[in-house]
Amino acid sequence: MKCGALILSVFLCASARAELKWEQTTLEVHPAFGAKQAVGYFKYENAGKTPVIINLVHASCGCTAAHALRNPIDPGEKGEITVTFNIGDRKGTQIRDVTVQSSDPDHGRATTTLLLKAVIAPPLEVQPALVYWNGGEDPRPKTIMVKAAKGTVNSIKVTVSDPAFQAGFEPVGDSEFKIKVQPKQTAKPDRATITIQAEGSPKIFSATAIVTGKPAPPNAASR
Amino acid sequence: MTFVVRPALLLMALALLPAIGEAIYFRDKISWQSPIPASEVVTVDLAESWGENAIWIDARPDEEFAREHVPGAISLNEDRWNELLPQFLQVWSPEKKIVVYCSVQSCNAAKEVATRLHEEAKLPNDIRVLQGGWEKWKKVTSRR
Amino acid sequence: MIRVVRIVWWTLGVLVGGIFIYAGASKAFNPVRFATDIDNYKLLPWSFAVGIAFYLPWLEIFSGLAVVLRKFYRGGLLILTLLILVFLAVTIAAKVRGLDITCGCFGHASEHWSFPQHLAVDLAILIGLVALFGQELVGKEYRPGNEGR
Repeated sequence: MKCGALILSVFLCASARAELKWEQTTLEVHPAFGAKQAVGYFKYENAGKTPVIINLVHASCGCTAAHALRNPIDPGEKGEITVTFNIGDRKGTQIRDVTVQSSDPDHGRATTTLLLKAVIAPPLEVQPALVYWNGGEDPRPKTIMVKAAKGTVNSIKVTVSDPAFQAGFEPVGDSEFKIKVQPKQTAKPDRATITIQAEGSPKIFSATAIVTGKPAPPNAASR
Repeated sequence: MTFVVRPALLLMALALLPAIGEAIYFRDKISWQSPIPASEVVTVDLAESWGENAIWIDARPDEEFAREHVPGAISLNEDRWNELLPQFLQVWSPEKKIVVYCSVQSCNAAKEVATRLHEEAKLPNDIRVLQGGWEKWKKVTSRR
Repeated sequence: MIRVVRIVWWTLGVLVGGIFIYAGASKAFNPVRFATDIDNYKLLPWSFAVGIAFYLPWLEIFSGLAVVLRKFYRGGLLILTLLILVFLAVTIAAKVRGLDITCGCFGHASEHWSFPQHLAVDLAILIGLVALFGQELVGKEYRPGNEGR
């Protein structure tokens, strides 16, 4: 069991023995649509009799920042470490870890790993982001699917940057659309950006349509 | 207690068989040394030998790319994925190899960018992550 | 009456074995994802995570099958009992140390269980296993040649 493997490892490693007690060392957050950051508050308490000093709070990844508010932490005092992670254009479950090193006179040094799990649902998913035709390939239409969370998008606006390609779309479900893209020819190279915007939203997504103008490379399946 | 221990040991040995079978079956998809399998990693020397047949992608944050990057590399990171992907696709072609790199500070960025190129853009190219990342590239090329 | 009792024991065995078969099967065919899940907690070296990802699900499946099919039955009971004892002991130890291990022992169904809920389910499984063990050892007189049955 996943639980078993994880717990076994906790048992086997020399883990924190400091008197800093954590309410939770793993936090799962669900930032709202369009949020720029995911934030987790890791609460702790000094359950010992001597002050605890936080020596180091280190985020393993550059896009994550973490800081503690008070230092040293007196006996009985509570506090929290705020872990902020910049979402950017990331999606899915993102896990970031922060290492906290603390020390106190009675127990020496201790290390704790805090894990922030951010579950990010993108406002719109465009798949695939690229449709292309090799040189001489039959210029049949290819499909791009656009999906959003149910009930969030009634309609989309689709524009093509180059008249060498045509694009039309139709709804295929709740907040789901099918865009069909077709080139006028496949003998010469052409490229276009297909811009997709959900009705009422300023955020723009895009896909790319390319005619390579070259025959298919060996061992590569065209799409 | 052998009437309990012996069947237990037998079961443990039996369970080893499919486990070993899977380890062999998945040997190209999972590496015991690192989370990125060997078939998806490329050394600096090999990547450089590909010359014009490879497109280099810098998966690091904008500031790091602006400071310094592999000459000719294109910036594509997850901070500005929606904006940078179409720019990358303007120079893409299906027959080229793609080399993605990041630095120690950007953690898994190269692997995540490579995965998104496979899964979202559905690129048919051979996409590799540069072993040792930006730091290794600097070290190898500064020796020349 | 004896028949009813036998059916109850049989059902308990199938239930307990079935839980472990399910837990193992849900992970056995995607070792890459399982290894990544273990690695995401950053507590084990990667190579350990890979080893566990390949082996642990099959150990659960084979031990669960042993209990359901009553082949190498005592061995299966022993392995599953040891597994659940270790899980319990370390969950409690971790909680006492102030570490909260919120993980999905039973897949997504248990991701939001609290510590007492996890503890209760694990204890119930342990009781089931100990009962089955007891019934097996008391109900059958040991004779040389009975090993594994």
